[in-house]
Amino acid sequence: MDKLRGDVRHAMIGGDRVRAKELRAELRDAEHRWDEALAELADKSQSAADSDAQAPATPVAALRLAPRARVLLPVREQVHQALTLLGAPAAPRLIVAVHEAFYAGRLVSSRLTSLRRDEERSFRAAPYARPYYLCAALTADLLSPARGLLAVSTWPMDRRIIGPLSPRVDYLTAAIAVAEQLQRSGDPEPAARRLLWRFAANIPRAASSMRSMSPHEVATAARAELAVHKEADSAHRTAAARRARTQLDDAAQLFGSGLALSRPADTSA
Amino acid sequence: MNDLEARLDRIRGNVAPRNHNARTVAALTSNPGCARRAIMDAAGVDKQLLASCAGFAAQFGQSQFAIGRGNAFEAQVKAGGCAELLRLLREHLQLSIPEVSYDNLDEVGGNTCREVRYARTRALLARAARSDQDAGTLFDHPLLRLQVGGRPVYLEPDLIAFQLRNRFYVVEIKSFSVIDGLADGEKVAAAVIQSAVYVLALRDLLADLGFGADSVADNVVLVCPENFSNQPTAALLDVRKQLTVLQRQLARLERIGSLVDLLPPALTFDPRLDEYGLPHRPVSELISDVRTVQARYAPQCLASCEMCFFCRDEARGTTAALGREVRDELGAVELVQVALRLADGTLTGADDQAEAAAMLRAAARLRSECLDGAA
Amino acid sequence: MSTLVALARALAAERGIAQPVCTARHVHVSDRPLVLIPLALAGEANAPLAAMVGTDPRSPRLLVVHQPRNRDQRFAFAARLAEIVLAHVGGYRSAAAVTRGAGSQPGARHVDAPQIIVPNPAGIGFIRLLGRSTRFRRSTGEHAVDPAVPVLGRWLTFFAERSEHPGSCLLLAATQALALHWASGQSPVEDLNLAALLGWIDPPPGMTGYEAALAAEDPVASPPAGPATDPTFDNEILAPLIAACGRSDVTDAVRERSRSSLETALSGQLAPTWTLVWQAVKLLRALPSAGRLATRWDADKDAFTSYAEHLRDGGPPQPRRDSAVAAARRLNWLERAQASYAAQRALDDPLVLADYRLTGEAFGGPVTTAEPDRLDTSGKRRKLRPVITVVTEDPIRVEPGAALVSPTRPGQTARVVSVSARPPDMPRSATGSDEWSPSNAAFGAEASRPLTEVALELSGGMGRALTAVPGSVPVVGEQLCYTTLTDSYQLHGQFPAREETPWTHGGPPPEYVPTDADAVEAWS
Repeated sequence: MDKLRGDVRHAMIGGDRVRAKELRAELRDAEHRWDEALAELADKSQSAADSDAQAPATPVAALRLAPRARVLLPVREQVHQALTLLGAPAAPRLIVAVHEAFYAGRLVSSRLTSLRRDEERSFRAAPYARPYYLCAALTADLLSPARGLLAVSTWPMDRRIIGPLSPRVDYLTAAIAVAEQLQRSGDPEPAARRLLWRFAANIPRAASSMRSMSPHEVATAARAELAVHKEADSAHRTAAARRARTQLDDAAQLFGSGLALSRPADTSA
Repeated sequence: MNDLEARLDRIRGNVAPRNHNARTVAALTSNPGCARRAIMDAAGVDKQLLASCAGFAAQFGQSQFAIGRGNAFEAQVKAGGCAELLRLLREHLQLSIPEVSYDNLDEVGGNTCREVRYARTRALLARAARSDQDAGTLFDHPLLRLQVGGRPVYLEPDLIAFQLRNRFYVVEIKSFSVIDGLADGEKVAAAVIQSAVYVLALRDLLADLGFGADSVADNVVLVCPENFSNQPTAALLDVRKQLTVLQRQLARLERIGSLVDLLPPALTFDPRLDEYGLPHRPVSELISDVRTVQARYAPQCLASCEMCFFCRDEARGTTAALGREVRDELGAVELVQVALRLADGTLTGADDQAEAAAMLRAAARLRSECLDGAA
Repeated sequence: MSTLVALARALAAERGIAQPVCTARHVHVSDRPLVLIPLALAGEANAPLAAMVGTDPRSPRLLVVHQPRNRDQRFAFAARLAEIVLAHVGGYRSAAAVTRGAGSQPGARHVDAPQIIVPNPAGIGFIRLLGRSTRFRRSTGEHAVDPAVPVLGRWLTFFAERSEHPGSCLLLAATQALALHWASGQSPVEDLNLAALLGWIDPPPGMTGYEAALAAEDPVASPPAGPATDPTFDNEILAPLIAACGRSDVTDAVRERSRSSLETALSGQLAPTWTLVWQAVKLLRALPSAGRLATRWDADKDAFTSYAEHLRDGGPPQPRRDSAVAAARRLNWLERAQASYAAQRALDDPLVLADYRLTGEAFGGPVTTAEPDRLDTSGKRRKLRPVITVVTEDPIRVEPGAALVSPTRPGQTARVVSVSARPPDMPRSATGSDEWSPSNAAFGAEASRPLTEVALELSGGMGRALTAVPGSVPVVGEQLCYTTLTDSYQLHGQFPAREETPWTHGGPPPEYVPTDADAVEAWS
């Protein structure tokens, strides 16, 4: 196996990816067989030791779940919870952070990567069968799915549109939501304060340090900046939402138009 | 396809062309006198593959930990509508509060074709520059284009920021740390020259649209992690010097046609790979063809060019291989052999070498005196 | 780089083996150096991955961080390293202190000082960064760490800062120490590779230096000395193992096997370098030590003693940045120290002095005339002032009146009386003998080489009487070198005290007090 590892590395040094890939496969094979052999050996010696010691046998190969993984809700429910709190489209990282801050159970970010695709498939198979779907947010100009964002299908169209000012507006909206939730909960998790601080640090006059941060002040500062952008942002979103409703079918309104439109949006709007 | 392109394609052979990026363009400034590299880069030769086929494989890969960290840091800086970046730009460029508009030029409605992205970048930047109202502040993953050696090269800076009624700034996000206000000098230098490439490309684009060079700032914004954390910090860096150097080198490259004209018409670096990727060109033939084009090896090549071991082997016996300092101290004599024979007196140099030769002889005498004739 | 060293490199390239550029060892090598080979994870500012450390080449200790991005595990690594380093340093602190000799600052100085050896300058950089990321931590409050960690940080920072002083040997980089004494047949850049450099200095039997260095460049056969790991190692071996160690859905036994595999892989990257560093130590020890080495090591011991006191008295950790005065003072000090260090090596080692003979700051040759009994009667008292003449081929550049010193008679000053060209075909002195050195014999051979005659008036080092102690005055025929270099200690430049920092440099700096922010600074 050591030789195989060396060979893979030499292949990569020489820029020969094809050969490296072959060797890697061979290596994985060998490692797998080695691991199995070791496991078998461990089983044998364990059971031998057990029979010697006459201790109650512990199944060695039993999978042990991580202690706190008593999942209360399915992933889509957890995501829905977090998004509902935020009230604006959000990236998986933020969704996970919000969940960790305010809700029980663990949400692992890797489970979110295929979520949008799975939801789309489910919708197309049986439209509106479920009370809500986790969907995309659409870019205002081309009405294509904005990368890396999740939204809730029950939201009005213009909340699910991303205009040029929307990323900042949604950021401030999320900050306000988090601040208000913090004020509401009596005994917030440290993760919640840390989350709010990450927002506050990037909003003018929101807080001067994590220690002195007050959710009320953060929300006030966020609202102050939000007021600057709100009108222009709403105008973009409303116009784009109108176009989406007229030009796109149901599925596309939720999950975006896959093709570039022949008539791109009037950019002077 | 013009003549030059056809010639370069022939030199490259039946291998897919490697695209230039800002790093390789910047590298043109580090060894401008090397014809071998200039031609290989112009032809899009895969230097790592070629070196390996010739028996001189050189390691230039990147650790996935470094790549991962770089991606993660960039993602963090750009998260939430570039929240962290906005904070830094408001501080360093005095962006006003309303200037938060964000446009992502990564894909165009699912179309990642370069020409389409470039066209869209042009359109959006033009609109921002011409408009009196806010029409764009942050442009993410823009695609720019630069003429290098007569061929267009597509370049992707991390982000371009536009200050209303003012100018564009290139923003580069790098994951090496700034600790107590200091960062690794070499890494900063590399970042600065890469940024200068983007500034050039951006100026080209705007010039095409009728805007002057001052529509793009001479300063670039470099964003790095601060101390040992992932918190970003930014600095404005002046790239005027690097711009001058780059423009000079690019101008030289325009004349690559004249270099190519001097080469034998049948010259090719094609390793003749079969469908399994195995080379079938006789190694000695490949080596001899590559050697037809002169290189200018220096130890600095070891850190920047995949052909380094090939050229180093070829340069064995020259004083250049020992480094510029050594070469200079040996009186700029080209060959080690010659230097040694001048030193021991068995060779009397040319007139213009007289001073160097005397120095070498004195050095040899002293050395032998101290080491008791044993050396 | 001088012509002599360049010539040595050319010779090395031709002969296939490194050539000496010194005849003595100018770095101190401890009896029990602490060798430390660090590895860091790529992409981060300072994420320790593993280390091999110890004072006995046969028993290295391996420290591994299984999840290098995990903050707690990093501090655990720092704590384990602290245990080893602080125990080593502590041994020297408890050793009895001796009172310093007359002529130096009053006070006691430890008998010996600890020495840390790393493979290369990047290793010193790792120590500096590790020191920086740990010295402000606290053992109480939020984000508390093991109390040994901040102490480790302060010591590592001390060692790293000290390594910037020319001539200091508390923290050595093996490549630098070797390159000081040997010229390889490759470029200085390539000398940073410890395996390649050792390949030139001590090639395996049957291989030339070039071949050995080439073999050393294959990262699979010869792992890099670190702290950076090879990218193909990272991608093909390290990443999968770290991922395996991080899995929570496997049995304890499987996880234990993953950890053990990771340790084996990292040990495999460290062990060859461990051997190489000890090989370097051995090669250096084989050289005779230079005369003034002890003086410099004394200065190191002073610094060590002084810092140990500072820590014992509860002094604060080194600040992040120098104040303006400290920075200027440090720069000035470094310049002087560099000059002094270079001079000391030249005075200790004829091959190093030879460099200066090429530039005119030194010259050497036979004594052709001598008046050992000459007296200077001009003043109130009569003084013994012998005069000698030395003839040299070296391109001398000294003026009458200049004060010179000879390495063989360090206590004696030679003042230049006159410098004149000597026609090359002048006959040898009347006492011409056959025991002259090769360069003398060459006088006849190279009639065209210009010669210079220097008359010197000597004073000092001859005893108190008006007749010189035998041997203290050079005799005709003796081969001598003289140089303008001195290693006399220069006074510090005059600088204002800290409290008086002029406003142009920001005013007096506040007293440095480590803050809470420092203690909880992220190390992610």
